[in-house]
Amino acid sequence: MKLAGILAAALLLGALPYLTHSNYVIGIAVSACVFTTAAAALNLVYGFAGLLSFAQLGFWGIGGYAAALTVMTFGGSFWQGLLWAGLIDAAAALAIGYPALATNRHAFVIVTLAFALLVTLVARDWVGLTRGPLGIPGLPGPTLFGVEFKTTPRFYWIAYGYALLALAMLWLVCTSRIGRTLVAIKQNEPLVRAQGIAPRPYKLAAFVIGAAITGIGGGIYAFHLKIIDPLFLDFYYMQTFLIIVIIGGAGSFWGVVLAGIVMSTLPEVLRFSEDFRMIIYRAVLLAAMLAMPNGAGGWLAQRRLARVRAELP
Amino acid sequence: MTALLEVLDLHKSFAGVRALGGVSFDVEAGSITGLIGPNGSGKSTTIDCISGFQAADGGRVRLAGADITSCAPQAIARAGLIRTFQTVLLYERLSVRDNLAIAAQQFDDAIWLDELLRTARYRRAVAVADERTRQLLDLVGLSRYAEVDAGMLSYGEKKLVALAAALMSQPKLVILDEPVAGVNPARIREVEAILRRLNGAGQTLVIIEHNVEFVTNLCHRVVVLDQGRKLAEGTPAEIHGDPRVLEAYLGMTPEMAAAEAKGAA
Repeated sequence: MKLAGILAAALLLGALPYLTHSNYVIGIAVSACVFTTAAAALNLVYGFAGLLSFAQLGFWGIGGYAAALTVMTFGGSFWQGLLWAGLIDAAAALAIGYPALATNRHAFVIVTLAFALLVTLVARDWVGLTRGPLGIPGLPGPTLFGVEFKTTPRFYWIAYGYALLALAMLWLVCTSRIGRTLVAIKQNEPLVRAQGIAPRPYKLAAFVIGAAITGIGGGIYAFHLKIIDPLFLDFYYMQTFLIIVIIGGAGSFWGVVLAGIVMSTLPEVLRFSEDFRMIIYRAVLLAAMLAMPNGAGGWLAQRRLARVRAELP
Repeated sequence: MTALLEVLDLHKSFAGVRALGGVSFDVEAGSITGLIGPNGSGKSTTIDCISGFQAADGGRVRLAGADITSCAPQAIARAGLIRTFQTVLLYERLSVRDNLAIAAQQFDDAIWLDELLRTARYRRAVAVADERTRQLLDLVGLSRYAEVDAGMLSYGEKKLVALAAALMSQPKLVILDEPVAGVNPARIREVEAILRRLNGAGQTLVIIEHNVEFVTNLCHRVVVLDQGRKLAEGTPAEIHGDPRVLEAYLGMTPEMAAAEAKGAA
């Protein structure tokens, strides 16, 4: 039942370019794919492992710049750019995660925040590499085996494929014992250690996987925008990922995926009222948080628990 | 034959205050050993040092002949020494079943790739853990709570879940930190019976407890700590008659104890 629903939704979203010719609608779908996946990556780090990481914004930016520079400065292909985006972010996550995870959770938050700000500074001030505030315009549409992905509907396939692959991988991690161990570490680290499990490799793995997926998403999104500049590191993106995770329910895989799709499209759906749309958007956020303080996933978990409780002898 | 656990001359100070001043004792395989003493006598520090949660300033700890001194807690657990905690530690927002399953997962042969790909080895490990979870929940009488979040249980039930979790990995030695403190008296009998059954099946146990009756009923040997030193060691009967123990524990001289016993009779 659940599986059928997921398959149907995936097929429907995959067939989107056949259902509409509107570049506007498909453009929103590209954002939805990328934002949902980046949020699901943050969910692995924050929702499962309990690590509030603002570094996602830095990984997002590095991924965007890595992909753009690979193509525009180093003459590589878009696909090589994505590879570099993933690899550089994985390496960066290892480098900052290893020492930062030895500290406590609060210090970890500060370290990741500092990292994100540092990446912003580099993007703006290392003009020789990033071309500074002017940015790098004219990112070309990718090609693969002679097929061009220049138009928005074609480009959508890339974003969609990325979302499918990355979400499948995240699902494998989150629903395995690894995901459960991450939750256990979040809830009670001394107990995890007393049961023979070393917490740091788990946390580091979550952080690195989350970084690589976010970076590749950033690379794809930069080529969707066809330009990258320091605004790509605007806090807006971090805020979007975080809102999706919290509305979906930190630690709930499907809750966050669902919230990603809803929250990426909601601001656009509200365009019927240009003047009030951001006000309505915020009001919806507020209402959702008041009704479901632990997000959609938390709300569902609570209902399940109430049911189990009611059935107790 | 050497003992299963050998504790040799443990020393530990906190900011210059001496917590342990040379504690030594052995735990024989197959035995139940009690560790008792007044508040602040160093019981908790002793097991924290044994289990790796505190680094001892001096002394050695050996488990089945292998030196585990100053190993990380997770390494000591993997070596086969599992402990519980005085303030019950559980994954409060995971089900009782998951609480038990996690306690075993480091001890099977499934690696991370097995987990991601759900290989036969992974499924076998999960099946084994499921079966053991079922048995242990049955043993502690909490089978009907398997799907409930651990945080929803009563204090006594939580202690039983922690006990069951400690047994999941079939450890060589289990150290129980106050298994019945705060548990209602009817339940204490139950815990006693469970521990006796486990020991009958060969499980070696160390019990830290304030409840003297509980320790006396259950333990083969008792080690008494006072002010960071071993005050006495012996069978429960020997400990009962030891004047130093009475004085440290109850602040009584043997004469007072005898008088009190007479008065009570």
